[in-house]
Amino acid sequence: MTVFHFFNCAILTFGPHAVYYSATPLSEYDTIGTSAKAAAVYLGTALVKLVCLATFLKESENGNFDPYQELLKVLINFIDVAGLYFALTQLTHRNISQNHKFQAVGLGWAFADSVLHRLAPLWVGARGLEFTWEYVFQGLEANANLVLNLSLAALGSLMWLRKNKPRILIPIIYACAGVLATMPSITRLHTTSYVLILVLFEKSFGMAACKGGGL
Amino acid sequence: MAGRRRGRCGGGVEVLESIYSVVALVLILVACVELGDAATAVDVYRLIQYDLAGVPYGSRFGGLNHHAGAFPFAPGADFSRTVVMMPVRELNFTFLREYIINKQQLGGLLFLLPQKVSKKIVGEIKSKDDGLMRKILVELEQLLIHASIPYPVYFAFEDDKINALLADVRRSDATGQPATATTGGYKLVVSSPEPKKLSSPTITNIQGWLPGLKGDGDTNQLPTIAVVAPYDTFGAAPALSVGSDGNGSGVVALLEIARLFSRLYSNPKTRGRYNLLFGLTSGGPYNYNGTLKWLRSFDQRLRESIDYAICLNSIGSWNNELWIHVSKPPENAYIKQVHESLSDVAKEQGVTIGIKHKKINISDPRVAWEHEQFSRLRITAVTLSELSAAPELLKNTGGLYDTRDSVDEAAVYRSIRLIAESLARHIYGYQGRNIQIFADNSSLAVNPSYVKSWLDLLSRTPRVGPFLSKTDPIISALKKELSDHTVEVHLQHEMIDGMFSFYDSTRATLYIYQVASVAFDLLLLLVLGSYLILLFSFLVITTRGLDDLINMFRRPPSRKVKAS
Repeated sequence: MTVFHFFNCAILTFGPHAVYYSATPLSEYDTIGTSAKAAAVYLGTALVKLVCLATFLKESENGNFDPYQELLKVLINFIDVAGLYFALTQLTHRNISQNHKFQAVGLGWAFADSVLHRLAPLWVGARGLEFTWEYVFQGLEANANLVLNLSLAALGSLMWLRKNKPRILIPIIYACAGVLATMPSITRLHTTSYVLILVLFEKSFGMAACKGGGL
Repeated sequence: MAGRRRGRCGGGVEVLESIYSVVALVLILVACVELGDAATAVDVYRLIQYDLAGVPYGSRFGGLNHHAGAFPFAPGADFSRTVVMMPVRELNFTFLREYIINKQQLGGLLFLLPQKVSKKIVGEIKSKDDGLMRKILVELEQLLIHASIPYPVYFAFEDDKINALLADVRRSDATGQPATATTGGYKLVVSSPEPKKLSSPTITNIQGWLPGLKGDGDTNQLPTIAVVAPYDTFGAAPALSVGSDGNGSGVVALLEIARLFSRLYSNPKTRGRYNLLFGLTSGGPYNYNGTLKWLRSFDQRLRESIDYAICLNSIGSWNNELWIHVSKPPENAYIKQVHESLSDVAKEQGVTIGIKHKKINISDPRVAWEHEQFSRLRITAVTLSELSAAPELLKNTGGLYDTRDSVDEAAVYRSIRLIAESLARHIYGYQGRNIQIFADNSSLAVNPSYVKSWLDLLSRTPRVGPFLSKTDPIISALKKELSDHTVEVHLQHEMIDGMFSFYDSTRATLYIYQVASVAFDLLLLLVLGSYLILLFSFLVITTRGLDDLINMFRRPPSRKVKAS
């Protein structure tokens, strides 16, 4: 029964990615190569972030708020943004529309994130006899993370790939990008609902902007 | 250039190989991950498993992997896959007897013993609860020891976690269904290997020799007095059989007497004209098998030189009455002498000593008292005990109830004073004279902290003879202690005679898991499946349009139409 639970949590964590790929036109245009490349870029970004954190960050002894440490953390989080930029603009994608490009990149990014952060705990923990809700919550978090990453990719594509952006949206776009890049900690589960709202808002903007502005 | 390319290709192959090996290692590691996460891990102690003359007794299994259940039960429920948790405080003997004597199948039994009660003030009368608990434990022990139980039986101590668990299990049982694989609940797992028979269990006798003052003749011609006490125990849970009163009290008394007489004998001016032989024997619960082998190993001259032997058995919880048990009739001159020497001193100390005579039946293999082994070899011997009647086989041998609280240091102290005083008067020829050799506050006073510390040590050490190896720490400790007080110490290793055989695996760790039922997993699968289908439909509709979704389900029929 415990492998059953592992299977349940696994399909909750990774199912939506597969469903998203097969349901949207991504599968028709065979964009799996793009997603795979985005996943590889995420891996590289994660490694670089780890190395930077390990090298530059010091363990705070008294737990007080040290502005320099927080600044360092913010700067290191920008590496994330840089990775996304690299994946969106620098990689050679096949001839696919911008609309699909950002979706494929976002999907690959989110899938790599889920695999790296959630697969190992799931394998080790969910197969035990003991039952906890922890892994179900982790799966829900993976779902929210997928939506977030798609929206980030949309945001990125709006910022860097689109040449003609509607005037009013520009400051909002950059503000949202700044907020999300510097505070990734707000993507924890207890604030995920808040983020989901924000993210859906962005996504609708992104979709509207893409559709309205044409390809 | 070709060489360089080949070098690069060679390098590439090596990289591939190392990748393969890393992947293989990771796969192996991943497959071997130990699933050790449990809600609770508890120390449990297994019921003893032994064969007596080929007949199996005790719990015959060790491994456990079933759901937990507790009272009150739904009537007629099936327990063959349930571990029944029974707190000893509220034991239901009718249920237990029904299941054990009728040999009905259970998944397992887990008895919850009350926490060790804190030490009570000396002299306080034991509360009624204690007496009741003792009765319950004795009855439970006798029931379990003399039955053959085809499922694992374990003992554990109550604590908050287990009590909360029990309350939980009771609550869910009260709704009418005992927990099984489909209804969730708690799973109890003990993963111990199959219990194996102990191949050649040894029992060890420890003897110490204190020689008397050599006269003009040889030391061996001096008479000898022997003080003997069995030190091993037997109980329902061998890992818990510490036997504080039976016979930790006797062992402590023997050690203290040895210490006092070694002080007297260290100075030639105060050395008596008797040799003293101290014997810590093993195999007590098994018809004093060890004592028999020890006596048989004696030299004929030594055997003849023994004036008399005092055997000590359970002298730790009496108030003002002790008993001397004899196998020769009390009118016998030697027995009379021993009795008088003890009762004279006892009278002075306000203790009554009764005498009980039990004849030996040579054809009966049952040896109820240690002195009977001496009597069978024509050595005068008595047993001093607080028990007034001969214990039956495997009774009063240090069981579940016999912990530190059941022995009173003051009683042991008084016993030592009594025995030492009467021995000394006999050795130095002061019978009938009112003299206190081991007076309080003298340099020869009985040392209460010595008594207490040895009682504490013995109450922490389970001592079931066959489970003690030849070099067990307690045996080494007793040997060292005796060698501090006596001149010559000798260990004798023997095998128990063929009637008894024992099986190992006496303690284990119980893991308690909270498990969800299969129904829950199926429900979750259903919910997730519908969520994914909904997500799929939603995405198809928003990105490709509703027509696409409908077309997905309409394609096969249209093709068929085309083919025809």
